[in-house]
Amino acid sequence: MSSETADPRRSQTVDRGPLAHGWVIVRTYVRLGVLNVAQYRGEFYVALANVITLATQFVGIAVIFANTSDLGGWTSAGLVALIGVYTILSGLIAMVIQPSLQQLMEGIRLGTFDFTLTKPADSQLLASVAVVSPAQALNIVFGAGIVGYACIRMGTMIGPLQWLYFCLTLVFGAAIVYSFLTLLGTCAFWWVKVDNILVVFSAVFGQAGRWPLAVFPGWMRVVLSLVIPVGLAVTIPAQALAGGLSGWLVLASGSVAALFFVASRAFWRYALRHYTGASA
Amino acid sequence: MSGAAVEVEQLRKTYVVPERDAGIKAAMTSLVRRRTRSVAAVQEISFAVQSGEVVGFLGPNGAGKTTTLKMLSGLLHPTSGRAEVFGFTPWRRDRDYLGRMALIMGQRSQLQWDIPVVDSYRLNKAVFQISDADFAARLDELTDLLELSDLLRKPARNLSLGERMKCEFAGSLLHRPQVLFLDEPTIGLDVAMQRRIRSFVAEYNRRTGAVVMLTSHYMADVEALCKRVIVIHHGTLLFDGPLAELVRTVAPDKTITVQLSEGNTASRADLAALLGGSVAEAPVEETDTGWRVKVPAADTPAVAARLLTGLPVADVTIEDEPIEAVIEKVFAVTAQELVQASAQIPSAQISSAQISSAQIPSGQTQGQP
Amino acid sequence: MTAPSRTSLDGLEPAPDFSRFSWRALRQYYRGEFAASIAVNVAYRGSVGIWVVTSVIQPIVMIVVWRTVAGPTGTVGGYTASRFVTYFAIMMLVNHLTFIWLMWEFEWRVREGTFSPLLLRPIHPIHKDISDNVAYKVIGLIGILPAMVILILAFHGDLSGMDPLQLIAAVPALVGGAVLRFMIEWVLALSAFWMTKTTALNNFYMSVQTFLSGGFAPLSVFPPLIAAIANWSPFPWTQAFVANVAMGRTTGVHILSGYGVQAIWIAAAFGLLRLVWSRAVRRYSAVGA
Repeated sequence: MSSETADPRRSQTVDRGPLAHGWVIVRTYVRLGVLNVAQYRGEFYVALANVITLATQFVGIAVIFANTSDLGGWTSAGLVALIGVYTILSGLIAMVIQPSLQQLMEGIRLGTFDFTLTKPADSQLLASVAVVSPAQALNIVFGAGIVGYACIRMGTMIGPLQWLYFCLTLVFGAAIVYSFLTLLGTCAFWWVKVDNILVVFSAVFGQAGRWPLAVFPGWMRVVLSLVIPVGLAVTIPAQALAGGLSGWLVLASGSVAALFFVASRAFWRYALRHYTGASA
Repeated sequence: MSGAAVEVEQLRKTYVVPERDAGIKAAMTSLVRRRTRSVAAVQEISFAVQSGEVVGFLGPNGAGKTTTLKMLSGLLHPTSGRAEVFGFTPWRRDRDYLGRMALIMGQRSQLQWDIPVVDSYRLNKAVFQISDADFAARLDELTDLLELSDLLRKPARNLSLGERMKCEFAGSLLHRPQVLFLDEPTIGLDVAMQRRIRSFVAEYNRRTGAVVMLTSHYMADVEALCKRVIVIHHGTLLFDGPLAELVRTVAPDKTITVQLSEGNTASRADLAALLGGSVAEAPVEETDTGWRVKVPAADTPAVAARLLTGLPVADVTIEDEPIEAVIEKVFAVTAQELVQASAQIPSAQISSAQISSAQIPSGQTQGQP
Repeated sequence: MTAPSRTSLDGLEPAPDFSRFSWRALRQYYRGEFAASIAVNVAYRGSVGIWVVTSVIQPIVMIVVWRTVAGPTGTVGGYTASRFVTYFAIMMLVNHLTFIWLMWEFEWRVREGTFSPLLLRPIHPIHKDISDNVAYKVIGLIGILPAMVILILAFHGDLSGMDPLQLIAAVPALVGGAVLRFMIEWVLALSAFWMTKTTALNNFYMSVQTFLSGGFAPLSVFPPLIAAIANWSPFPWTQAFVANVAMGRTTGVHILSGYGVQAIWIAAAFGLLRLVWSRAVRRYSAVGA
């Protein structure tokens, strides 16, 4: 094995550990997204249009609660908090996860993904932060605002432990959604155009993700927690605020997140081993 | 250690490709049963490249040269075999390995489309962990070499293909790779830009001693840059050696065109008498002003002399066969024969008539015409 | 005299007269175009399948939600839990048969310039879209019809109050609803000629449309203010009306007056379509292909 000692032609690289390097990469691509923000002008309007969707959602909730005092154990304020969590997660998806996956598919189709593979950095990381659309951060802000509003409406004090649980499970939820989408996106290595599968996810997330797991019958709850875990990702953080979580649930949520993350990583590695590249 | 920068041993890559007929019935059947076909893209290739060498891979489309390059750059996992570049196994994609190699593909750009080129470079700076000082110094050097000063502030979108390729090169070399994999780097570029890129690559190789492995359709690339060529066809290595050797081994023809002086003609019969009986076999063509004869390289001086002395020649031109034609001939022969031919001592001559029938009997020496 | 040259103009058949509108020509065109559209949809059956699966998700979620709201015994806006199931199952079918996706595709069409060949054909581009759309709906039925049946069975939908006459009466309503929605959304799609990214507008429209056409909940569930807003818009007439007729909630003379309202909206939409289309073509030619 040839050594790397004193080759006078090679200057020193700035050698950071992999974690610091990873952080630099994320920072760089976020900066790139901001540089490109003129391209994403349309995205601002998309984010704003989302306000209308949210408005209809709120009207819907109002209508529901005009007819009943609780929905599967959830109060009106709890449901609003859930919508807030949903909006935060969907903002994250729209800001980074989805556009980067879009880029991955394009890259595999056109062969420019090869460039990602030849860089001395984790290919999954590079592929995951490739495109950042900062305009969608608006949704994250909206979502946070809605969560705040819901908490005020709830009236009851939310203890610091539940706040901690909320933050933790929100991160877990983000990890779940990211890992799941990456799993789907990795299928692009075989099928190249996986837009259709992503559309199915969008539909499931966009429809089922706006409602608490409690309204779903048993078998659907299982599907939405373990198979397409959008329900888990959204409901649990909301529950921390609305009703309170037990430590076990937090642990369970974390385990599901870890499971999906490890699976997405393994699948990615597997895909790379079998990567055949775009036609020469 | 042996010291070869690149060592390839029995490298093999086989693809499994699904196969299907057209039509609805076939579409339905394919849901139930998938028919597949094995395609051997690369079959047991072995070679070694020393530090500082520039090697050209020649081969028709689908020959396996890009596949080989991709395996060496770590993109593809081979089906079997071994390869080492600077001691690294490429497809393990060690960070250390990736940090010292570069892959540049013609017509594919990794520059960000909408932002100034120099901002794309900063991306690479972050990924390759180049220090500020190094980045500045190397950018200056590359800007000089490639004349990029006007281009750096423009978004890639606004550059022409040639300008983009120059910027692509610069961006890919900021981390001073020790091995360059170039896949059809000059495709689509105009002649002037092709020359520019070639001289740049030669310069980079001279300055840094980097190994350069390049695939190209353009013989001009290979002629200008590569002292050594590797011919790959149907996934097999047909030839590995100096380009001049290859050309000579295939022993191309030369074309002698004689222009007869005003008012003079010669008939085929006259030519036949002049050249001896072999005229009937040799391709002879009448032009407006004279005759054109195609003869094996070895025969050329003799035939030319006869024509010059035997005919009222006003002008004579002797032309090489274009190298493309030479290479086409190479691909037309069977692997075995060419390998045998190149392994032999250079006196093996091969008759042109026999080449055109796509068989090279080895060891045949040319007698007197 | 030499034999008649094949390039002589007299030898050619006269070109069809494209300026006069002819039903026969249109029928002939549709036959060909429709066959092609069916073939395309069969070739892309994977995509069609995925879209069908997506169409099932929203009704399932709505059923689950409203079932929970109504509870096992209660009613909301005149619907019991089981009636909600029937409602959303029928709405799924109606949605499939009235739905178009063109507002997403037009943006791409304009950007890639694939509109130009369509504009050069001696037939309005809308006909190709109609053909594609109907072909998709037909092929998609293969999935949607069983899905509807399964939904009703799995969630125990209440089918009482439905009778064959009502179902027959629902068919013209369905056709009217499909035509109306197609026209409205085709006009929406034309926005791509003015806006490079139509996603925001499309999302906005979709949210409003789903809500007001009865996709979120039957309109009787809404408080009077919202129901009034909805009824002043064309949206309920594209979907909710059809479901109401099919379920027997709208009967007798109300069905007839419903047809009438649909007809009025269709006429209005048609006028809007022609107006916007002529502007759109002008703009497209001005901006360049």
